[in-house]
Amino acid sequence: MAYTITSLLQKSYKEAQGKTVVQVLLVLAGLPVHLVIYFIYLIRKKDHTHDTVLNDIRVELSDKQLSDQWHSYYVDQLIRKRTFFQENISDKEIHHLAEKLVEERKKEEITRRTDDHLNQNGIQRTTYSVYFQSLLERRHFLLCTLLPGALMYAILLLISNPFLTYIAERLIQSVLVIIGVAVLVFTILYISPFDPASNILGESATQKQTAAFNQLHGLDLPYWQQLWNALKGIATFDLGSSFAGNEDVATSIANKFPVTLTIALFSVIMAVVIAIPVGILSATRPNSFLDYSFMFIALIGLSIPNFWQGLIFILNFSIKLNWLPATYSPSNHLSMIMPVVVLGTALTASIARMMRSSLLEIIHEDYIITARAKGLSKSQMLWKHAVGNAMIPVITVIGLLFGGMLGGAAVTEKVFNIRGIGSYIVDKQFIPDIPAIMGGVVYIAITISLVNLLIDILYAFLDPRIRSKINQS
Amino acid sequence: MKDSSNNRHALVISKDYPQANFTWILSLALAAIFLWNSLATKSGEMNLFVFALFCAYTLTSIFQLFITRKMKKDLLNTGEIHKTTRRLGYVQLASLLTGNIFAAAFAFNLINKRKTPEYTFAVYMLLTQLAVIAISSVNLFKPYVSDTFLIAMGSLLLIALFHLVALILTVHYVKEYSAPRWMSILAVVLMATAVTGNLFATLLGWSLFMKSRRFDSSRLLKWNVMWEKITRNSTAVLGMFFILLMLTISITSRFTFDYALAVENNYSAILQAPSLVYPFGTDNFGRDVFSRIVFGARISLLVGFASTILPGLIGGFLGAIAGYYSNRIDNWIMRLLDILYSIPGILLAIAIIAAFGANTVNLIIALSVGGIPTHARTMRANVLMVSNYDFVDSAKALGASDFSILFKQVVPNSLAPMIVKSTLTIGGAVIATSSLSYLGLGVEPHIPEWGNILKVGSTYLESNSYLAIFPGLAIILLVLSFNFLGDGLRDALDPKLD
Repeated sequence: MAYTITSLLQKSYKEAQGKTVVQVLLVLAGLPVHLVIYFIYLIRKKDHTHDTVLNDIRVELSDKQLSDQWHSYYVDQLIRKRTFFQENISDKEIHHLAEKLVEERKKEEITRRTDDHLNQNGIQRTTYSVYFQSLLERRHFLLCTLLPGALMYAILLLISNPFLTYIAERLIQSVLVIIGVAVLVFTILYISPFDPASNILGESATQKQTAAFNQLHGLDLPYWQQLWNALKGIATFDLGSSFAGNEDVATSIANKFPVTLTIALFSVIMAVVIAIPVGILSATRPNSFLDYSFMFIALIGLSIPNFWQGLIFILNFSIKLNWLPATYSPSNHLSMIMPVVVLGTALTASIARMMRSSLLEIIHEDYIITARAKGLSKSQMLWKHAVGNAMIPVITVIGLLFGGMLGGAAVTEKVFNIRGIGSYIVDKQFIPDIPAIMGGVVYIAITISLVNLLIDILYAFLDPRIRSKINQS
Repeated sequence: MKDSSNNRHALVISKDYPQANFTWILSLALAAIFLWNSLATKSGEMNLFVFALFCAYTLTSIFQLFITRKMKKDLLNTGEIHKTTRRLGYVQLASLLTGNIFAAAFAFNLINKRKTPEYTFAVYMLLTQLAVIAISSVNLFKPYVSDTFLIAMGSLLLIALFHLVALILTVHYVKEYSAPRWMSILAVVLMATAVTGNLFATLLGWSLFMKSRRFDSSRLLKWNVMWEKITRNSTAVLGMFFILLMLTISITSRFTFDYALAVENNYSAILQAPSLVYPFGTDNFGRDVFSRIVFGARISLLVGFASTILPGLIGGFLGAIAGYYSNRIDNWIMRLLDILYSIPGILLAIAIIAAFGANTVNLIIALSVGGIPTHARTMRANVLMVSNYDFVDSAKALGASDFSILFKQVVPNSLAPMIVKSTLTIGGAVIATSSLSYLGLGVEPHIPEWGNILKVGSTYLESNSYLAIFPGLAIILLVLSFNFLGDGLRDALDPKLD
């Protein structure tokens, strides 16, 4: 076991040599180990084989005849080049250029021959990385440095597996994006010309009151300080209290998030359940009456504004028919139907259209014809070969649209009077209540990033094409 | 046997037959809506005017069904549509009187067997002009009209007459690849009439100009093929028709509609139900909802176009650079845009508006910022593809600089998907505009904008539901039109479908 681990580490260390970023990361992660080892390496480096061979070969190459030969070769080439392009270059310049080229050639030749010579005699040039590699082979070394070098070994293990590398890269990317989102939203709100203090305290507030308000919420601090506080607050779920009402922002958001997420989740489920069969039906009967009607309805679904659809639903199902309650209440499950349908309409339409076009494209692929040719029935072909492959882009689209849906939730929540995160942000924006808006937007962005991250990772496992791409890179 | 299968094929590839089906189904659906509305009045009485509309539309759709049947028989028997069947189109033209644009468009299509793109342009140009006149003439029932109403209506009528003449001339003289030389004068005048916003006139004018001036044939062929592909898709053309109608309305309404009716309070006419004077009723301040919707088209189009062109330019530029230059630049630009991409557009708009206040300019900026990454991604993907083509290599071999290759060779050749993408995003921008206005975060509340009208309507949902229904329908129609046009453009411009 230990043997396999040491060889694994050694191998991934060797592979890392080509990549500058990873190398720097490894040195930083195992800094204490590297410092000690480098010191030992410097002391031990008494091996002069390399230098002696180098000198031998240098003497060998300084032979006048060889350089003359090269020189005349280069001069000849350069003159031909001059005549062909009709360039205006003097003989002297050509001579000079040729000498330069000979020098370069010589240098190359020396290093090449030295390496060749050493390789022939089975001697490796001991650089620091080679020395470190040889150390990694030893189990004792590993055990001794396990504690100070734990971080470095973790990275080595990570990059030894392409999947883990991919996931780690994706995670780091998401974290960076989220930090970027937080910085962006904070900066937008920071440069706002509005003054929350005067909005909340009123125009008649004295200077002292305003100053006290600003101090309470840290608004008198410089930009970087405020930004750092905001980022810290997001990471530690402690965003302080909102400007108006003095409630804890993180708790309010935590209270409002579940409703929004539940409705969004049900909408996605509804969309998938309706849209996938519709897409498949449409794609298997292209240009039929059914296909046209479905796609026409889908396009209408895409074109309806959420809030208008909500209003029309309320008008018909609550006011005229009195079937469903017009506003949402957590205790009444019936009241959730309309918001879910309204929020999910555009998603359903998009997925149905996407499913149709994706499946249509797949059905015309060569391998489907092969499947038919080998005697599969139409339904076997469809379910075994086509639908699974057609779902791949559809799932990506679902992930992407999920974000748009969480954003659009603000409007739907306002129509049905749902106290979710969307309507919370809208309510707070008039002040503008910086921690509340920022918290709301950033946490929604985090949710979306997580969903997309999850989908990407799932793909890495499920889609053989992505798998092979990861392995190749 | 072979013959009949050939004829069946003729039925499948016929451009007119699906449109015929589409038309009668749509007319019947509209008739059903009218029937429902004529019976479901609150007082229990039948609304005679709406009922008459229902009868007219039912008649149209029955006659349309008859034509469709005849077309099918013709196609199955002989493989083409008979002259007598085509003549029926003249009868169907009468449906124009009831405002059934779909049937009228079909009738125009049926009458002429040989359809050049110019014919389609001319037909829709005329239809647009007539529709604008019809909508503007609703003002005749108002107690007063704007000062410029008579002059404006007069010139609109004259232009319509001129368009009719142009249509007839087009039918008689324009051939596939040529037109008489004197038509270039007609073309120039036609392009001048496009100041009303009727861009079909521009298209027709430019097309006639190219043909009468004998532009080189490869260019004409390209133009013809592209527009034939687009006009074959009747929903795409209808979408374009409605968009251009809205554009024309928003330009001509300046002269034919009275802005005061849309913004000034009139407490003697509060919350009135739809009537001839107030076709869509009045709101809680006595403002005419019809005028408000007409003036609202302006804002929706302005914001929609501006918040698509702006990110299209910025995102397109960034995407082009990211796709063409080194990996490092690509990585930096795209990772930074990922940040923007991960915030939902509406939320980002809310945050920006929260910071800078709600007005039209901020709304355009807010919606534009969110649109940059998608446009950049589209452009980048295309530039990546196009920069591998041979003509880029030859430009390089000729010694052109990177910058000029990118913007003279690569970008023009990757514009098609950008245009499709933009058309589809305009619809989204229109929805976003009205949604934000509905939340009180968009256009200022006193300006007639569809979201603002709906916001008022939502408070009177129970008693005066028409206040919420009509602006919503306007939004849907406009967005639907952009989506139809976008789909049609995608089908026409997608090289994969060639």
